[in-house]
Amino acid sequence: MIEVLPANPEKLAERLGEPGWLKEARKGAAAVFKAVPWPDRKTEPWRYAAGRLKNVPFDLPLALPKERSLSRDALPAVVRKRLADADLAGFLVFLGPDLVYAELAPELEEKGVVLTSLHQALRSHPELVEANLYKAIPARQKGNAEDKIPALAAALWTYGAFVYVPAGVEVEKPLAAFFVSEAEELEVSRTLILLDDHARLAYAEEHLSESEGEAVHVGMTELILRPGARLVHANVQTKNRASHHLYRQRALLEKDAALKDLAVNLGARFALSEVGSELLGPGADSEMLGVYFAAGDQHHDHYTLQHHVAPHARSDVYYKGVAKDEGTIVYQGLIKLEPGAQKTDAYQTNRNLLLSRKARVESVPQLEIAANDVRCSHGSSIAPIDEEQLFYLETRGIPRPSAENLLVAAFLEDVLGRVPLENLAHHVARVIEEKVRV
Amino acid sequence: MANRLEIQDLWVSHEGKTILKGVNLVLPLGEVHALMGPNGAGKSTLGKVIAGDPNYQVEKGRILLDGEDITELTPDERARKGLFLAFQYPVEVPGVQVANFLRLALKERLGQEPPIAEFYARLKEAIELLDWDESVLSRYLNEGFSGGEKKKNEILQLLVLRPRYAILDETDSGLDIDALKVVARGVNSMRGPEFAALVITHYQRLLNYIVPDVVHVMMDGRVVKTGGPELALELEKRGYDWLKAEVAGA
Ligand SMILES: Nc1ncnc2c1ncn2[C@@H]1O[C@H](COP(=O)(O)OP(=O)(O)O)[C@@H](O)[C@H]1O
Ligand SMILES: [Mg+2]
Repeated sequence: MIEVLPANPEKLAERLGEPGWLKEARKGAAAVFKAVPWPDRKTEPWRYAAGRLKNVPFDLPLALPKERSLSRDALPAVVRKRLADADLAGFLVFLGPDLVYAELAPELEEKGVVLTSLHQALRSHPELVEANLYKAIPARQKGNAEDKIPALAAALWTYGAFVYVPAGVEVEKPLAAFFVSEAEELEVSRTLILLDDHARLAYAEEHLSESEGEAVHVGMTELILRPGARLVHANVQTKNRASHHLYRQRALLEKDAALKDLAVNLGARFALSEVGSELLGPGADSEMLGVYFAAGDQHHDHYTLQHHVAPHARSDVYYKGVAKDEGTIVYQGLIKLEPGAQKTDAYQTNRNLLLSRKARVESVPQLEIAANDVRCSHGSSIAPIDEEQLFYLETRGIPRPSAENLLVAAFLEDVLGRVPLENLAHHVARVIEEKVRV
Repeated sequence: MANRLEIQDLWVSHEGKTILKGVNLVLPLGEVHALMGPNGAGKSTLGKVIAGDPNYQVEKGRILLDGEDITELTPDERARKGLFLAFQYPVEVPGVQVANFLRLALKERLGQEPPIAEFYARLKEAIELLDWDESVLSRYLNEGFSGGEKKKNEILQLLVLRPRYAILDETDSGLDIDALKVVARGVNSMRGPEFAALVITHYQRLLNYIVPDVVHVMMDGRVVKTGGPELALELEKRGYDWLKAEVAGA
């Protein structure tokens, strides 16, 4: 772990041609980074991941844009493979910190939909970016150890996506961004997705790697849903087993806004996903789904936050994890209700399936409720794969790996079935099947 | 020896307790044998051990399938060689649809993906024979099935997978007379020179519909008597006590 940032944030802002307010924000974040300690076991949500954090090579050189671009045919093979079975209205491809390819259906462009890099948006839509960046994940946090990595991310991000859907515009087919990690660099990204009043969008962010080298990625995603906006959002991580992947997502949901979110971790050696929704307006609805599968010595750590500020809002977390070999899966979640959050419906469920005795699992759901007229529930379960079911399937000629695969698919079916991105759900199911079999 | 399932001096224990104590039994292809005996005799254990249940330890003896020693094979390897066990208590598998499960099992049984038309032809034929409805195919395997439906589902699998040797463990228990007839019709449709069944039952009743060639009686972990169909009738009339006395006296 490092005590000094690997780049000077002010010089970085100048090099990237950023406006003054952003330079100031980076400076502020750098001050927080300097002031707070690294997370340890006592830091939420690092209880189980602090040990892994020690092995993350934050001292790798910061990934700086090199202004590369590629033709569609020359895109990394992992991306071309994904494009072959996706039906998208537009997508971005990042190779390391470079936006190397972008495409958006012309009719969406005409309606004012924006799909580009955050730096491009700083030039094309400066007021939108200034008004919304760092709104869901502030550059200057409170100043606890849990802010160390968000502060690093706010000070040093060098790339990321910007998506904007104007008021009343409904984007029918999904949009996507593919982030292809490169080895031996510290990659710091930031994504801002902004849906104006009653806008509609489905968007998937995929994190992949092309080589087998070690890489560190710190990514922050901010989702801003104005009144009545509806967003389907997925974050799918299938990186190589040498990667470290630290991800935080916060959504701000105003009145009657609806988010359907899916967090998937299948790759990387160590992945930590923190996904939170702030329910700021009555009628807001946040459904948060999660699927993860740790094999070998992988560690997949998940944290969810359902923060109810407004009354009459609903949130539902449903996370399912699978572990085999010596994999570690962790779920921690908090339902937090402010005093004004009367008539809240908030649910939280975490279920875990273990394919080996050596796999490790933690499941810690939590409630913190300051309102009385609410409906809240939480539940968690941990179970080994059912040997009787396996035997039954095997007696029908189905070999054990296939039988395990059937049972894992059956276990995850209800989560993946709730994802309104069918192609993506199939892709996730296929990657899981490969993992069960090897 | 080819063309038979043969159990030779089989000793089996479970968590240190000996359950099977030297079972000998020969089931030639083309025949249907009944296996009867009081509760706790070890009939289900024998069925599960033949199928390869890892919960039981084979202490001694062999299981030969068409002359090949299968005692050390995994359950799926045995099944692919043509063995089938209809469970006394079929297992519920939520999230796995009957049709998907059958297609996968048939693929493994045939060693290749079955042509879709052939697969559906087999399904349709089996469902009709069982007086069933195609809606069962989209249900989750045994989940929420009544006792009778679970038994019927075992026979559905038998009909689709077409094994060479089938062990039916109390497939009749809990069935009313109509369901019993349906199950018997399913099993009888499989009868022929390339099929053999070991029908485990408590009651003579089933044997009115599936008439066995040979009847074995098991007591306390051993096959103690083997005879023709008339043996089942005699057991029905006189119970097991006379046999117990006969075994003890011998
Ligand atoms: N899985 C098991 N756990 C504990 N005891 C068992 C198990 N399987 C069989 N047994 C014991 O072995 C004996 C034979 O049981 P079983 O094979 O079910 O008999 P049957 O089918 O003839 O009624 C019984 O005493 C039973 O309690
Ligand atoms: Mg029994």
